[in-house]
Amino acid sequence: MAAIDIPEVLKFIDSTPPFSSLTQIQQKQLLTGVALTYARQGEKLTLQGEQATLHLIRRGACEIRSAQGGLVDKLSDGDCFGVSTVLEQNPDGLQVVVLEDSLIYRFQKQGFQSLLQEDEDFALFFAHTRSSRLRKLSRAHATDLATPALQLSTPLSQIMARTLISASTQDTVQQAAAVMTEARVSSILVLEQNKLAGIVTDRDLRSRVLAVGASAELPLHEIMTRHPATIDEHSLVMHAQTLMSEKNIHHLPVVSKEDIPVGMITAADLLRHQELSPLLLINQINRQLDVASLKKVCAQLNTLIVNLILTDMKTTDIGSVIAAISDSLTRRLLELGMAALGPAPLPFQFLVFGSQARKDQSLGSDQDNGMMLSRTPNEQEAQYFSELATFVCEGLAQCGIRTCPGDIMASNPKWRMTQEGWQQAFANWVEASSPSALLNASIFFDIRCVYGDATPVQEVIESMQARVAKSSLFLATLTRAATVSKPPLGFFRNFLLESSGEHKHQLDLKHQGLALINDLARIYGLGCQRYRISTKERLEQAAREKLMGLDIARNLMDAWDELNELRLQAQRQHWQNSGEPSAYLDPSELSSLERKHLKSTFAIIADGQSAALQRFARGYA
Amino acid sequence: MPTRLLNAFERWRSHRDSKSLPWYEHSYFVLDMETTGLDPKNHQVVSLGWVLVEQGSIQLDTAQHLLLDSAQIDDVSVGIHMITDRDVLEQGRRHASVLRYLRQIMKDKVLVVHYSPLELGFLKSLWQTQPMPALAFDWIDTMQIEVQRRARAQEVIAEGGFRLPACRERYGLPDYQGHDALTDAMATAELLLAQTAHYNHHDPSLQELIKLGGGRMRLSSTEK
Repeated sequence: MAAIDIPEVLKFIDSTPPFSSLTQIQQKQLLTGVALTYARQGEKLTLQGEQATLHLIRRGACEIRSAQGGLVDKLSDGDCFGVSTVLEQNPDGLQVVVLEDSLIYRFQKQGFQSLLQEDEDFALFFAHTRSSRLRKLSRAHATDLATPALQLSTPLSQIMARTLISASTQDTVQQAAAVMTEARVSSILVLEQNKLAGIVTDRDLRSRVLAVGASAELPLHEIMTRHPATIDEHSLVMHAQTLMSEKNIHHLPVVSKEDIPVGMITAADLLRHQELSPLLLINQINRQLDVASLKKVCAQLNTLIVNLILTDMKTTDIGSVIAAISDSLTRRLLELGMAALGPAPLPFQFLVFGSQARKDQSLGSDQDNGMMLSRTPNEQEAQYFSELATFVCEGLAQCGIRTCPGDIMASNPKWRMTQEGWQQAFANWVEASSPSALLNASIFFDIRCVYGDATPVQEVIESMQARVAKSSLFLATLTRAATVSKPPLGFFRNFLLESSGEHKHQLDLKHQGLALINDLARIYGLGCQRYRISTKERLEQAAREKLMGLDIARNLMDAWDELNELRLQAQRQHWQNSGEPSAYLDPSELSSLERKHLKSTFAIIADGQSAALQRFARGYA
Repeated sequence: MPTRLLNAFERWRSHRDSKSLPWYEHSYFVLDMETTGLDPKNHQVVSLGWVLVEQGSIQLDTAQHLLLDSAQIDDVSVGIHMITDRDVLEQGRRHASVLRYLRQIMKDKVLVVHYSPLELGFLKSLWQTQPMPALAFDWIDTMQIEVQRRARAQEVIAEGGFRLPACRERYGLPDYQGHDALTDAMATAELLLAQTAHYNHHDPSLQELIKLGGGRMRLSSTEK
């Protein structure tokens, strides 16, 4: 009998990547001769001789330490170790220390080795160049999710409102009406012992109370619709739509398997979900005549972004769409401003920086912008631009693009300069080279013109590039400043494992991941002959100009895609649940595949950082 | 004659000495049986599951799960199932071959069970069903080991606290869903590994394990 025929073994192998994606024959091959061992807390596993092979933790926890005793990683159920003793003949002297009593599968070296040779996907999972494996997986991922008829097949739970507006059966009509008004909803759920007893809608209040002159003191159970139609939380948008049109209702309580209400879906939600398109939104933006109506149109922006995320649009495309919308909005506000203030007294450019310039905004991005004037304005002209800039920045804020906490906005006179002014500013940043000043200014190095003739902006960029090329100290300082923040090591149980050994409950996808790659790309981008603005284009350009190995560039691009996707998903969830688009991720909600994936992503960033230090900061330490 | 006596003495001594070696120098046959009831005299073994522990770790490839076609063939069965004399003969043979297989594997190994009165009782009655050569072996009961350990540590264990899943839980071993003979044999083997790892900060000898919860047994089919 083979080990794979033991039900508990099969169950575990089948739920643990990458073993789970092996064929049955391969699993059998790998498990031939497998032994199950028990290691006591505090034991040190040397991984020599017979033990120099692949191990898989069934239950327990171990930590990997370098020969010098530094913490390399912490492992728990479903994690592997000993791979390097198989892949390379000469291990780095890594030690495995058992943190908690552990049951460990010890595989036969031979079976593992032949499987590595025979199954590319399996080998890539373990390979030291963790890179190409990522690419493979993300590609597989993309094809899995590309569903054409997606809007109707979107799970209801992704678009329903989760804030339950409810009352009890004994509450009065008036109390209920007050709650509904307060929450700005058109229906209220009537609960009895947490279960759904009925529903009362605006229309019910009208027809069953007001129209018949009933008292506002009536208890809800007298006027509510009993046992309303409900829909299961796992249904699709399609089902909700069918049910609503069948029953001719507009409110559908969403209930769990136990019949406990978990959300609410209205006809308006469905309509919004389907009729929003970026093109429509841009058209609408261009048609509005004042800030108030722009604001109304832009109220749909977050919903649109959520929809785009739900439709599994590529993250770079989502970035471009959001950029197109914010660019249109900025331009429309400039037009409205100039309509109110009169035409501009002199030609100017409106500049955007940071994420809008790179076209990787997401939910809740803030504004970073400035102006470039064709000459030094007189007092009156300066006043005009001050008013115009304030109008635009405030308009953007009203439309949901938050003001910049660092006040990098055109409304700040500091960031309204002539071409010479901007050139001088860049010259100062490049030559000053104090690390903290540089880090704060780095956002300006992502610059794009959204209004006006782009040529003068291009000239500023070119002179900036020329200066950077002459000052190698600048890139060295920027690199050292940017690599101070390190990516996390990985995960341990439900914690994030920081390189300091600290445990955190949350992963900040932006600052602990994306921003690090953006910083790296900016450094390489500035080192390039040709100026590129988006992170991925910068990495591509750096590889083309041979500043960076093609491998590292591709890995970083994959890592960026993956983190961006995770960020958008996390933001979508947080936004739908709490209205706050935070980009934090709770490690306990990640599957073990996602964790492994993320871990290699962190490793890629760390590799990129050391490559950058090697390239730009060597000799300046 | 004196040579034979000497040889026998030599065998006895080497057997005794080997017991003082660390436990992992021995091979263990970890067995669990599924039965139709709790009384070895009246109930029958339905299936056997086992796995070997060698060099201190569970050799998963050695796992076996055998269903025993031991249900007694009575007149009713013949009527309903059209079972013929020949079938009975073959069933009988199959039954005998299973026992011979079992005997072959158990030879020179230490038997490990969880709750020995039941498992040993059923083994004994299995041996009565066929004419079998005798077999002597050492055995260990993980439940008895657990009872002794907890008693020495003066721990009070609630009722049912010595059942296999409860013992495993104390060592942080995973909760297994299935309770077929093979899964329970695996579970018992893991428990044995955990118990030896937690033995007084050194690797126990086989002798020490037997003293804690085990013994020696001789199976034969001659005595009635």
